[in-house]
Amino acid sequence: MTADAADLTGDLRRLLADLTGDPAALGAPPDTPLLRDGLGLDSLGGMILLTEIKRRYGVDIADEDLNLDSLASIGTLAAYVSARTADPGRPR
Amino acid sequence: MIKCVIWDLDNTLLDGVYLESGDRPPAVSTALGQVLRDLAGRGILHAIASRNPAEAGEYAEQATGHAFAAIECGWGAKSAAIEAIMAELGLTADAVAFVDDDALERAEVSFRLPGVLVLAPQELPEAAGWPLFGPPAVTDEARRRGELYLQRRARREEARAYGGSREDFLRYCRTRVTIAGAGAADLPRLHELSVRTHQFNSTGSEVREEEFARLLGSADHLVATVSLADRFGDDGLVGACVIATGPGGWQVRLLMMSCRALGRGVIDALLVWIRRAAHASGSDHVAVSCVINPRNVPLRIALAAAGFRARAADQGDGAPRTAVYRWPAGAALPDLPDWVTVLA
Repeated sequence: MTADAADLTGDLRRLLADLTGDPAALGAPPDTPLLRDGLGLDSLGGMILLTEIKRRYGVDIADEDLNLDSLASIGTLAAYVSARTADPGRPR
Repeated sequence: MIKCVIWDLDNTLLDGVYLESGDRPPAVSTALGQVLRDLAGRGILHAIASRNPAEAGEYAEQATGHAFAAIECGWGAKSAAIEAIMAELGLTADAVAFVDDDALERAEVSFRLPGVLVLAPQELPEAAGWPLFGPPAVTDEARRRGELYLQRRARREEARAYGGSREDFLRYCRTRVTIAGAGAADLPRLHELSVRTHQFNSTGSEVREEEFARLLGSADHLVATVSLADRFGDDGLVGACVIATGPGGWQVRLLMMSCRALGRGVIDALLVWIRRAAHASGSDHVAVSCVINPRNVPLRIALAAAGFRARAADQGDGAPRTAVYRWPAGAALPDLPDWVTVLA
């Protein structure tokens, strides 16, 4: 994992811990689901998460990812954001 | 539509500065106190965002005789206090008005939260007459809205202190979700939900009472309501769906839920019920068409979490962007949680 990817994952973990009010997100394995039985992120928390990701990284998941597959786990979310911030010049 | 007015206290709701007034805190502004009562009567919530110690909020509740839905007293940015209130009450920026006498505070909030309606105190009495602040309350749910948000405050405080799972907490609260066929008496509330719900609304457009009445009388449509209660109080009718039950499968034309039912298992229960009812009637094809806009992300998260999968729908030029969420073929039929009652 590159330093940037590790930073990104760490930032996302802190954001998730804030939103769920539970520090479990800081140490949970990357395949931990975000919704439901995983970190217990609810719909409102999910919306705040997507708003904050758009503000911080310019990645509009709500607009691009209809199925919200990127919210499957900490790892899928980090990979999604990372892939879209790696090359800001890529055509959309 | 404005659902909540967030008040500054010093020289706004109060005629003076709380911390500079010695033993006798300033009185409530006569004109603005009147506006507060008038708006509360229309079902609009009130909250406080003030640079003051917590006692100032308690004093304002006592002096106005109004129980505020949320109180943020502290020394941080007003935009941060407003964001905390929006998160607490489940509101988006465009459902919030902010009133402050300080031009710098108003500018900070306008800059950070462009969706919020920002007003100076002298502008509020006139603004309260704008359609944005809504008509007089017509439904029982609207009249009781302030009370319902206070119950929500109590529920959230207990949820914070409760250690178990979300399902356990819903049981501990004695949550009761009731799904029933809609009747003529529900028409005003169905119309109101279609206007007031945004975060959990699959179409994002108003449906008139006449249209709901037509759907109620249609043999090819099913209109179901969802009501919610727990030991903190009775929220009444909080959601509904309209389903076209043709031979090709069930098409959910409208799915809507009040944001005050957020996190209480309502949308999950409704989606499971739709699946099971479709199955019982002989169809495993369930499709929910949903507009794609920034406001209904919570509904789309709920659909994804419930196992529905989307693809973009064909649409004409100028039509809103829409996706169709389908239940995957062959997926297991989920069980209804034990707190859900279905009235035929």
